[in-house]
Amino acid sequence: MKVVIATALFPPDIAEPAPYTKTLARRLAGEHEVTVVLYGRLPESVPAVRYVCVDKRRALPFRLIAYTRALLHEARHADVLHVENGSSVELPVLVVSLISRTPFVLHIGDTRAHTQDSPLTRLLARLVTFRAASVVEELPHARPEILPFAPYPTRELEKYEHSWQAHIQTLTSAYKHAHN
Amino acid sequence: MPTTNAHLAWERYCKDELTRILPLLVNHGYTLETEQPHIGGERYLMQAVTTTSGRKLILLGMRRKDGLRVVIKATSDPAGMRELAHERVCRSTLHQLHFAYDTFHSPEELLVMQHGSTYVSIQKYIAQEKAFLERPTEEQFNFALRSLKAQESAHATTHAHLKEIRRAFESYSAARYLSTHASLVANITAALPNATALHETLTQAIKVFTDGRERVAQYCGFLTHTDFVPHNFRIHDTTIYLLDFSSLRFGNKYEGWARFMNFMTLYNPPLEQALLKYVTHNRSQEEVEVLTLMRVYRLTEILWYYTRTLTQTSGNLQELNRARVDLWHTLLTHTMQGTALPETTRQDYIAKRDKLRSEEEKRRQVGLH
Repeated sequence: MKVVIATALFPPDIAEPAPYTKTLARRLAGEHEVTVVLYGRLPESVPAVRYVCVDKRRALPFRLIAYTRALLHEARHADVLHVENGSSVELPVLVVSLISRTPFVLHIGDTRAHTQDSPLTRLLARLVTFRAASVVEELPHARPEILPFAPYPTRELEKYEHSWQAHIQTLTSAYKHAHN
Repeated sequence: MPTTNAHLAWERYCKDELTRILPLLVNHGYTLETEQPHIGGERYLMQAVTTTSGRKLILLGMRRKDGLRVVIKATSDPAGMRELAHERVCRSTLHQLHFAYDTFHSPEELLVMQHGSTYVSIQKYIAQEKAFLERPTEEQFNFALRSLKAQESAHATTHAHLKEIRRAFESYSAARYLSTHASLVANITAALPNATALHETLTQAIKVFTDGRERVAQYCGFLTHTDFVPHNFRIHDTTIYLLDFSSLRFGNKYEGWARFMNFMTLYNPPLEQALLKYVTHNRSQEEVEVLTLMRVYRLTEILWYYTRTLTQTSGNLQELNRARVDLWHTLLTHTMQGTALPETTRQDYIAKRDKLRSEEEKRRQVGLH
């Protein structure tokens, strides 16, 4: 499948869902054709993943327009959009979904953004949730750190690996369901 | 005994400044301690090298009403006043940044006053159970990592972020790092025209740094402390207090790491290696590369720092500073080759340093790191 990941954050950004999105792109790239549409300039590279970057140093209205145009272009060639929640992505996704009709799966990777109390962003989140083919709230474990003075985290790394395998399965069936 | 003009000028400055400050302190209920280690030893040299940041005195004192130990920063130098005022702005801005996920603790500010042309800032002294380097390496690692992560947690990326930091912090882009690096190399080459081996290493450093331009740009926009070494922070219980806020800027994520790791190559190599392992095992390949690039940058900077002091010193101190240039040159070579500094080189340098250092400087160094 051709999967477009729409996200606000991607490493070198540090806040969630940046690390999640990079791992997702890497794991999906083995099975799917993956493009990431992101706010940023120089994302960390992942083999076989294509990037479309929108410079976030522009003023808000300009970067929202640029992101919407970039996402619309990519959505026209995609089977499914994977959307990371957050208003700077949700607004473009809402517009794009109305024009392109490409189905999308909404993932709640940023729980802080999901519970924000601005009435406008809450309304936007509700509209996007309503239009999503499915909503995935599950979050795999964060990768445990390997620390030089601590025992190697074998068990934690196993748990991490299992949680990601299960998560990719959940997402893959959500993508298939959305595409059909 | 002062042997150079720079040393004599510093002693004169200290004497004049203390004459001005002392009555002010007494009026506000503070006294000075008899021993003032932070104005002696090689302190004059550090001042001479960083004149752009202004002259100031760092003094130890006491609040008379309750015997509370304090740190007094005082200056009547206009650039020094700007620096102290700027440090205050940095500290308050940092605590208000809405995009920083972690913050630094700072010592409580007890008094700030400006009397005529004299600016004084008094802060609570943070007592440490022991100096940083006296702690076990594992503990040092944990504190260092926590502090480095706190720096990284502020990442200015959007238009609004950049607007928010512009007022207080300097911002370094890849282009600025590159041009500064080129200037440092040009300065060293001009100051040491016969040091052929050093010129070759620096030419290679320029190539390495220029080739890595995009990598440097990739990790810009992060809060970083450009002088993140143990004498600029103190630990009480489990809290890390940052002492120097004026060295914070938005720049490369690994600039603070680079400074700290280069320092530890001399003072605690196992800690430097532990941090390197941490980055290798937990961060991307791009980050490992940019760490090396920033170490090259900071080594070039320290090479210029000591090259510059050669004309301001004489006798043992000049000989010691030549040894320092050699040491950092050797480390620069090894860093670019991806190898560790040989232990024999480090030990030879330490033996030479301990032989050449003045007694006054040895006293200043006690418990400093």
